[in-house]
Amino acid sequence: MSAKKIARTVIAGGAALALLAGCSGGGDTDGKITLDVWTFGGMGLDEAFATYQEENPDIILKVTNAGGSDEQAQALTTALAGGKGPDVAAIEVGYMSQFKAQPQNFVDLRTLGADDIEGTYLDWRWSQGVAADGSVVGIPTDVGGLAMAYRTDLFEAAGLPTDRDAVSALWPTWDDFIDVGAQYREATGKGMIDNVNSAIFNPAVRQGDEMYYGSSENDLVYDSNPDVKEAFGYALDAIDADITSRTPSWSEAWNAGMNNGDFAVLAAPSWMMTYISQQAPDTAGKWDIAAVPENAGNWGGSQLTIPAKSDHPEEAFAFIEWLMSPERQLEIFQAHGNFPSTPELYETPDIQNFTSEFFSDAPVGPIYANSVESIQPIFEGPQQRIIDTAILNSLSQVENGEEPATDAWTNAMKNVTTALGG
Amino acid sequence: MVLSAPPRSTPPRSASARRLTKSAAPKPRRRIRSASRMDAFAPYMYIAPFFALFAVFGLFPTVFTFYVALFDWNPIGGQTFIGFENFVTLYGDERFWNAMRNTFSIWILSTVPQLLLALFLAQLLNNVRLKFANLFRMTMLVPYITSVVATTIVFASLFGRDYGLINSFLNLFGIESIDFAANTFASHVMVSTMVLWRWFGYNTLIYLAALQAIPKDVYEAAAIDGAGGFKQFIFVTIPSLRPVIIFTVIVSTIGGLQIFTEPLLLSSPGLTGGAGRQFQTLSLFMYEQGFGDFKFGYGSAIGVTLFALIVVFSLINYLLSRRITSDE
Repeated sequence: MSAKKIARTVIAGGAALALLAGCSGGGDTDGKITLDVWTFGGMGLDEAFATYQEENPDIILKVTNAGGSDEQAQALTTALAGGKGPDVAAIEVGYMSQFKAQPQNFVDLRTLGADDIEGTYLDWRWSQGVAADGSVVGIPTDVGGLAMAYRTDLFEAAGLPTDRDAVSALWPTWDDFIDVGAQYREATGKGMIDNVNSAIFNPAVRQGDEMYYGSSENDLVYDSNPDVKEAFGYALDAIDADITSRTPSWSEAWNAGMNNGDFAVLAAPSWMMTYISQQAPDTAGKWDIAAVPENAGNWGGSQLTIPAKSDHPEEAFAFIEWLMSPERQLEIFQAHGNFPSTPELYETPDIQNFTSEFFSDAPVGPIYANSVESIQPIFEGPQQRIIDTAILNSLSQVENGEEPATDAWTNAMKNVTTALGG
Repeated sequence: MVLSAPPRSTPPRSASARRLTKSAAPKPRRRIRSASRMDAFAPYMYIAPFFALFAVFGLFPTVFTFYVALFDWNPIGGQTFIGFENFVTLYGDERFWNAMRNTFSIWILSTVPQLLLALFLAQLLNNVRLKFANLFRMTMLVPYITSVVATTIVFASLFGRDYGLINSFLNLFGIESIDFAANTFASHVMVSTMVLWRWFGYNTLIYLAALQAIPKDVYEAAAIDGAGGFKQFIFVTIPSLRPVIIFTVIVSTIGGLQIFTEPLLLSSPGLTGGAGRQFQTLSLFMYEQGFGDFKFGYGSAIGVTLFALIVVFSLINYLLSRRITSDE
């Protein structure tokens, strides 16, 4: 074997490695600009992307759908850790606090004119994209809003009212909600709600003006904030009153349960309408929508960010501005049920008169609009999701009968401390 | 597979070259010796691609993990050197010991029945009177080549609390439904079943190969001495299989300590392996800390500990196997 041969082998090996490393980053051809856009499932943006592509022939949209919001967050983490990133990245609000704690990874959108469009969006929704240092990391996409989707046929069988206004009137407070659940259990022997985390704790804990953090990253109040303990208490009361069917959200049993009537009530943000109609198509017309207790709530939504490594931040921002404009958000809502985060639309006939056939022609537009307008901006620190997970897990343990309710709060607080210390 | 082909073809070639050198006449010896020197070098070039890839994707990450474990390391933020603090915190962390218990419990619950079942099936498949033996042997590998994701989805549905087939079956006998995902022990049984399902065929085939290598006359001698089928199995088959059994135990141990995919998929959404972390294994805990909670340093400390654990177990296995083989 000659030196030449060895050299050739080494070069071939090197080439193979370079191939394996999968160098991405396509060059811009013919003066066209390529925008790398990372989204995940359920955002309902596909038609909007197509429209944009049609109207802007000089820009090539390269859209990558990571699957779920968890996968997207992990893909983005990996990219940012490796000093890379797309031009536009969607981040689900649950992960937003973790990413915006490191704002240096993103373009401060104030430098691109974010201040000018701030007033278009719900203030609390806007604040979810603002980092502790005041830099604007992300522009809001849709807002979840919150309502209680309920099965009219099951309510009728349980001797409860079926009219949406009458149902809303049944539960102005969480205590009332739990009482209704107890009646339902007595009449049918079944749990009324899917699980306490989704139907009670999540909405209830977000109805105050503070959650786990006070006003800054170092101001942890999860153990002292009475709102948290109160929401936790409602969940425990609900377990005690046996109003839950103990069906975890997103599980297979949950999907089946929507069809089979294992539970009659489920916390439904606007985008959930599409999900229910897909999972339980046979129940069309048997669902209706009522207000959540205390009449305020949100579940979900995302921010669109521009990672600092983007080569085309101006174009990316112009794209985001266009994509999340009120007109576009209205189209997305009409096609997919993702509720707009721009309040100027709420009083328009498009929203006010919007009804859902699947949900017995319920006027879902005004119901969701009401649920998001009274929400207060909440400061979410970097450990938000870790604290949330620990508390929700403790509640699930009680719900599943694995841990006694009496120690639940102590255990939850201990679990949070462990999770924060690790 | 393609990579491993060239090195396999090299030994016979260099062996034949060596034979050539021995028998060659004195005169051309020098030239042949230099040829053999080239031949001696060639195998290294053939295996170089593997080691180059291993250095990049195996060795470097391993060494780098040790380095990262000494830092408070946010993957998208800053890094602060904190020495061994991660390890100190880790060994006082309840979640770590919980993950350790789960890992060992799932490992034992999956490995022991798996190897026994594999041994039993291998014995059945080795029967000379078995028709279509090759068909059955190939079938053993189907679970192994099926996607883990598909397997997990099917098993999760079988083990479902409300609509699971297993619970419907138990209900027939008046046994109340078990919440497999929520209960600690039941969830271990569920995960172990999936692991067992995936690997038993692989071990069966290994045992089968070893069984076929046992000379027939040993059995004939045992039969003449009056040993029945069961006695033959205990006193002839098992001792002959000892090295292979050791091998499968080592491989299952290394695999068992790294169980990840099944608990991850069952855990979704979330990475905690159930609300009470009841089936969170060490690998899943590592992933949760590193990629879920953005604590790369802490996650690396878990990785290093897991690495050390596997080294210790492999060493114990190695020593045991050496003693057993030298017994023979």
